Amino acid sequence: MSGLIVYGFVALVFVVFLGVQVWLHFSRPRSLALAPSEQLVPVDLEAFENLTDPDEEQYLRTSLSQREFRRVQRTRLRAARLYVAALSRNADVLVAAGEAARLNPDPEVAVVGQELFDRALRLKFFCLFSVVRMQAAFVFPVLLSPSHQLARQYMTVSYLAANLPGKAAA
Amino acid sequence: MFRKGLHREFPVFFTYLFFELLQFAFLYAISLHLLTVAPSLYVKFDLYGRIGSTILHFGILQELFEAPLKDNPSLRQTTRRFLWWVTAFIVALAFAMIAIQYSNSLGHRLLSSYATILAFNVAQCFLLGLMFLWHRYLGLSMASFVFGIALGMGWTASLELLILEWKDSIVIPNSRVPDFLQMGVYHCAVLIWLGFALAYRRITLPSGKLRLAEDQRLMESVAEMERVVRP
Repeated sequence: MSGLIVYGFVALVFVVFLGVQVWLHFSRPRSLALAPSEQLVPVDLEAFENLTDPDEEQYLRTSLSQREFRRVQRTRLRAARLYVAALSRNADVLVAAGEAARLNPDPEVAVVGQELFDRALRLKFFCLFSVVRMQAAFVFPVLLSPSHQLARQYMTVSYLAANLPGKAAA
Repeated sequence: MFRKGLHREFPVFFTYLFFELLQFAFLYAISLHLLTVAPSLYVKFDLYGRIGSTILHFGILQELFEAPLKDNPSLRQTTRRFLWWVTAFIVALAFAMIAIQYSNSLGHRLLSSYATILAFNVAQCFLLGLMFLWHRYLGLSMASFVFGIALGMGWTASLELLILEWKDSIVIPNSRVPDFLQMGVYHCAVLIWLGFALAYRRITLPSGKLRLAEDQRLMESVAEMERVVRP
């Protein structure tokens, strides 16, 4: 009987979850904004790159004691995580912009939109893996380093997004 | 599905429907005594049918996870790897959960078919939930038919979980109520799939390939990008 209660509860929770998904699916307004630059959260990429720079990390590693290094590196990782969260939010905006632009009747805009969509999705994947890697690096700051590829990925995607409104308006 | 070309976009789901149809036709023919088979063969057929359905369910889940990435082979590959690991973890967790629950009656029901089906249903519910969250994390609006498939599968998996456990603990022997309820649940899922398949409209995406600017050119434009990123 206890099994029935447990599975009944799991089933009920999941049915409610499905109900919420149905509500979200039919009520969520679709963003068709073609000017993502206005929606992007400002991110200081230089500072972010500095936080994940392997040379900088190597310098700290050689000039600080291991205990000091662990403390400093964890503080740096905490800050870097905030940047990744902001980049992830911006990637959401860029995915939505790419998704809308790839359906544009102008083939040139549609092609750029498709490229933006693919690259923004890749950026979102990168954000996810970066967060996982940062969490691991936070636990083992001496053994692991955070990824430093994210800023470059973001620059490429935001460049495509910056070019999109001009093409759409043309 | 044929008319709208959905069988090409969702081949595993289409195979699943076809498989269920064949299985139903065979079992129905036996129940009407149109086919005469030995009871052992019937049991074997039922078991293989269940195994086939379960495998196809996981195939459909993979199809749903990869649906928004069908134009991007590298991301699709990454998603597939990620999904395999997550599936293995969730299935192992579900089996552990079932084993703990049935450990008191070890030898009696631990390896019963119901327990195995329950474990897979629990895993499927979690994976379906994860699939919805996956789309939300990536910021993607789900294609209507993908949503319909997931909704129908979620509905069936969650209520089957309850019905199977109910069947297992029911006091009245040979009660047909859970069977009728299970049939009703499955019919609702079919109606959901039909509704979303009828409402489906194909989106034509650009076929041309953009010649991307070289990285060097992109790096030269950093100043321009910075204006966008830091207005």
